[in-house]
Amino acid sequence: MSGIKRYFYSRFELFVKQNKGKYITGAVAIFLVNIIALIIPRITGNTVDALDIGAIDNNGLLKISALIVLLALLVFFMHYISRLMIIGTSSLYEMLVRNELFKHLEKLSMSFFNRKSVGEIMALSTNDLNAVRMTLGRGIIMLLNTVFLIVSSIVIVGTTIDFKLTILAFAPFPVLIFIIARFGGVINKRFRKVQESFAHITRKAQENISGIRVVKAFNQEKNEIKSFEELNMDNYKAGMSLVRVWGLFFPLITFLSAISFFITMYFGGPLVIKGTITLGDFIAFNSYIGMIIRPVGFIGMIINQVQQGRASMERIEKLFQERPDVSDKEGFGKLERSIRLNRTIEFNNVTFSYGPSKAPALNNVSFKIKSGQTAAFIGSIGSGKTTIAELILRFYNPPGKGLILIGDVDILDIPLNVLRDNIGYVPQDNILFSASIKDNIGFNPYETDIEEVLENARISHVYNNIIEFPDKFDTMLGERGVNLSGGQKQRVSIARALTGNPGIIILDDAMSAVDTQTEEMILVNLKSLMRDKTGIIIAHRISTIKEADIIFVMDEGKIVERGTHIQLLNKRGYYSRIYERQLLEDKIDKF
Amino acid sequence: MSFGMGAGHFSGKAANKFSEEKKVKDINKTIYKRLIRTGKKYWSRFLAGFLLIIVVSVINLIRPYFMKTAIDDYIKGYVNGAVEIERAISGVEKLALIFLLIMAVEFVFKYLHTYILQKTGKKIIMELRQRVFSHIQKLPVSFFDRNPIGRIVTRVTNDTDAINEMFTNVVVGFLQNIFLMAGIVVVMLSLNTNLTLISFTVLPFMVAVSVLFRNKARIIFNEIRTRLAAINAFFSEHISGMKIIQAFNMQEKKLSELEKINKKYYESSLKRTRLFGIFRPFMDVVKSLALALLLWYGGGRIIKGTLEFGTLFAFISYINMFFQPIMELTERYNTLQGALVASDRIFTLLDTKAEPEPVNPVKPEKAGGKVEFKNVWFAYAGERWVLKDVSFVINPGQSAAFVGATGAGKTSIINLMCGFYENQRGEILIDGVNIKDMKKEDYRKNIGLVLQDVFLFSGDIKTNIGLFDKNITLERIKEASDYVNASKYIEKLPKGYLNPVNERGSVLSLGQRQLLSFARALLKNPSILVMDEATSSIDTETEQLIQDAVGKLMEGRTSIAIAHRLSTIQKADRIMVIHKGELVETGNHQELLQKEGLYYNLYRLQYKEELEGA
Repeated sequence: MSGIKRYFYSRFELFVKQNKGKYITGAVAIFLVNIIALIIPRITGNTVDALDIGAIDNNGLLKISALIVLLALLVFFMHYISRLMIIGTSSLYEMLVRNELFKHLEKLSMSFFNRKSVGEIMALSTNDLNAVRMTLGRGIIMLLNTVFLIVSSIVIVGTTIDFKLTILAFAPFPVLIFIIARFGGVINKRFRKVQESFAHITRKAQENISGIRVVKAFNQEKNEIKSFEELNMDNYKAGMSLVRVWGLFFPLITFLSAISFFITMYFGGPLVIKGTITLGDFIAFNSYIGMIIRPVGFIGMIINQVQQGRASMERIEKLFQERPDVSDKEGFGKLERSIRLNRTIEFNNVTFSYGPSKAPALNNVSFKIKSGQTAAFIGSIGSGKTTIAELILRFYNPPGKGLILIGDVDILDIPLNVLRDNIGYVPQDNILFSASIKDNIGFNPYETDIEEVLENARISHVYNNIIEFPDKFDTMLGERGVNLSGGQKQRVSIARALTGNPGIIILDDAMSAVDTQTEEMILVNLKSLMRDKTGIIIAHRISTIKEADIIFVMDEGKIVERGTHIQLLNKRGYYSRIYERQLLEDKIDKF
Repeated sequence: MSFGMGAGHFSGKAANKFSEEKKVKDINKTIYKRLIRTGKKYWSRFLAGFLLIIVVSVINLIRPYFMKTAIDDYIKGYVNGAVEIERAISGVEKLALIFLLIMAVEFVFKYLHTYILQKTGKKIIMELRQRVFSHIQKLPVSFFDRNPIGRIVTRVTNDTDAINEMFTNVVVGFLQNIFLMAGIVVVMLSLNTNLTLISFTVLPFMVAVSVLFRNKARIIFNEIRTRLAAINAFFSEHISGMKIIQAFNMQEKKLSELEKINKKYYESSLKRTRLFGIFRPFMDVVKSLALALLLWYGGGRIIKGTLEFGTLFAFISYINMFFQPIMELTERYNTLQGALVASDRIFTLLDTKAEPEPVNPVKPEKAGGKVEFKNVWFAYAGERWVLKDVSFVINPGQSAAFVGATGAGKTSIINLMCGFYENQRGEILIDGVNIKDMKKEDYRKNIGLVLQDVFLFSGDIKTNIGLFDKNITLERIKEASDYVNASKYIEKLPKGYLNPVNERGSVLSLGQRQLLSFARALLKNPSILVMDEATSSIDTETEQLIQDAVGKLMEGRTSIAIAHRLSTIQKADRIMVIHKGELVETGNHQELLQKEGLYYNLYRLQYKEELEGA
């Protein structure tokens, strides 16, 4: 925790240092605003005194009025500056940290994303970053305002009006601050109770709706309503217990300030009559008290805001502390794209599991795929096929050195970007992005030629579908665009993998949603394309893979059979059983 | 917006967005009416709250008057020689004490006001929530297919909250602010007409700036919302797709994409900062302008001796006071808009039709357990038939097993039997009575449903078996668990039957959850057992226990199963083969095998390994 704190302060300090000018300008502006705000009652007070003794004429009044408007305009200007400086800078901070956050996320390994839900990470970018911004913006402004105003008004009033009266009139303020602090604790506690009971309600609703079939089938509606009613009641009670305290808060503050007014009147009034202080002093004094009360009420809010902001900052910082498991060796420079790896792939006794407490996903797997060969992996769900693809892409580190070799080089010695540049990958889940089809196919860090995009779309048999859209290759995908069918998505995903002409192609169950005819046509296209590439095809259907140079049959993390289609059929083992099953399936389908 | 239609396609969304603007205007009236009806019951409390706040406002109004009296009557009175010093001092002191007393009254009233209003608001929320939740219980399953869980939960939780906001803050706040403003005007007028008119020369400024601000704020807030939504969408999409970004070395390009939309959002934020940086301080300028006018004009009158000091002082206070409600009204307008949208959503949900119930329900007699499908046609949507002309009779005590490929329509048969959906054509009869003529509750009482994916409620094992039915004793729960072989593992849990479980029940294995659901079904003692057998593999030991338990459960009952276990199928009196929505073969195991038709092939496909193993 202390490490986090140190880190977080240093990051934050750096930002503050870089934007020192803005913060100082903002603080000075707030300071001036407060000073001027304090001068105005003084001016009115003096005017009253001058009026009292007849020392001012209409001309003088006009001048003073003009002065007040002038000062007000100055305050306006300063206010504007301070907000722009401090709140504007907090928005800047939000933007910069969000960019950094994403940049950091891009570096993290798959093991991190398996561990954290999207919602959890999102919360950092939304709620937490928002809380930090509020603290750094509004929070700081409120804080500076309150401190400046309270201190300076007490000083001004005490030195210029009447010391004793000041002490008396401000006597309730310490009580006020004490009450606010005490109340703050109680309110926080009860507020948390309310939130808890609200969470219970949310959970109940969530659960009830997820299990609605069970609820209905077992005639549980009435019981559910009853148990919801109980939670609802708890929430109501928690809410009322908060209201009882919280409802007291603002009236109490007003009342305590009224006591100050009372003191001013009770003791100050006679002082005016006796001539100890002037009427103008008396009026100015009243204005000051009225002025300070609001900021004092804000103290609680400020404390709360700062606490929230700090907790959020620490959560964000915790993410920055995450280090990727998979990263380049130190001293790797950025290598040029022109580096082409030799295209052999070799696994030597690889045993791998996704976590220390998890069963191994691969168990002593060895194979070698020669350059230009197409290898296929087949087997049931969870047999380890996808793990092989993920290890070749180095989403996870192999459990030791020299176990996975690409082009006879240890995969750990290949810079990540070079490795991945050499691989065209079609994942199981067809993740496309909310961008144009052109950008989705030309998904590449380099400039992509439109001709290449069109050609790849043709190879993966999605070209004709695309040109049917009015915007053709500029058609937007995703939430604000067109929803492609599963098969279309897979074909776009295949086209994407071909971009950049990588030497190794991995198709992980890439054609499950494509109909058999189209699949065959894609396979024919790929075949000529793959002549000088190394290919890995992971599939469930034997029709997809039977042309492969070598087929590996996987079961429970092991390669149980290997050979060509014909060889494997002749073995009459696991592979041939799968084959027969699939023949039967086809037969049933045609019934 | 249009709840219940939201399959979430792009075209639908765009259309909804388009109609949203129009809708808000059209529907506002009805929403207001319904909201009033919702709160009507509590009119006396609202009235009390309103009266209290009027008293508080009046006290607020007379506050500056105290100071005015102190100055004009006593302080200046003494200076002018109108009163003696002792009387002046004691007068001021008396005035101060009355002031304190009145403020104490204000304190109490203010508290009471908050308390009453909050209490009422919370009561309304509670009732509304209960109403929404209860209504949800009555909605047909198809509603839950159409609407994501998160959205429905929001109706129960956040949207009801927005309506509370409406009642406690907006309605009373509006009234209070308007009353306060009117009161200030009246008091000022009664004090001095000219001074009032002078002060209010700034009023047009104020109103113009407020209106301008409101419009501008709406535009900017909308812009911020859209741009933030874009960032959130980007994050969610790219965190989910991080694997692809890394696999394709797209980190830098994607980062610069984010930087672009992030910058746009930053620019909108700055716009907001500028707008607020202008609006609030500008109102202060207007206030100072009024103050300057007062000083100049009022000061002049004082010199002439036509105005008293205290009056000027009071005016300065009133002008200060006048600005607060205007700012609040401007800001409350946004809350009002939000609450109206939430109300519309809730009312739309409450208007969604509940599961149909017969007008003159037939009360079924003690069920025998005969199930009959007569030419049943069913589609989830339109005319895409999932079941086509399915007919069969299962007699009391018989066991039937449905087999077929995935998507053949087996689950739909179960769904129809439980009354989760309505068949479009044909009849489903239980003991000779059409299920459409019975109350859902009445015939579901006779059906025990066991699903593949056992749903657990958060709570303990006991409540998950007895399901909140307080009439079921722990003894009976234990007996039932014992009978279906569940007691052994339950008793091994640290807290036994009181061991907590949660929705996704990580404490229990798949097989254990199955056994638990058997106990659940057994306690209901249904005459018809409907079972969707789990497909996932379970360890041999548990599998034995399950097979044994299934056998026991089926004893003396009509049972209908989507069968995956060979043992269940072989034992079934009748096997029905469903293919592409049609009932194509029926008979017992041996008969069907001899036919060498679809069943024969299916059987070979699914049970080959099992057979080879045996």
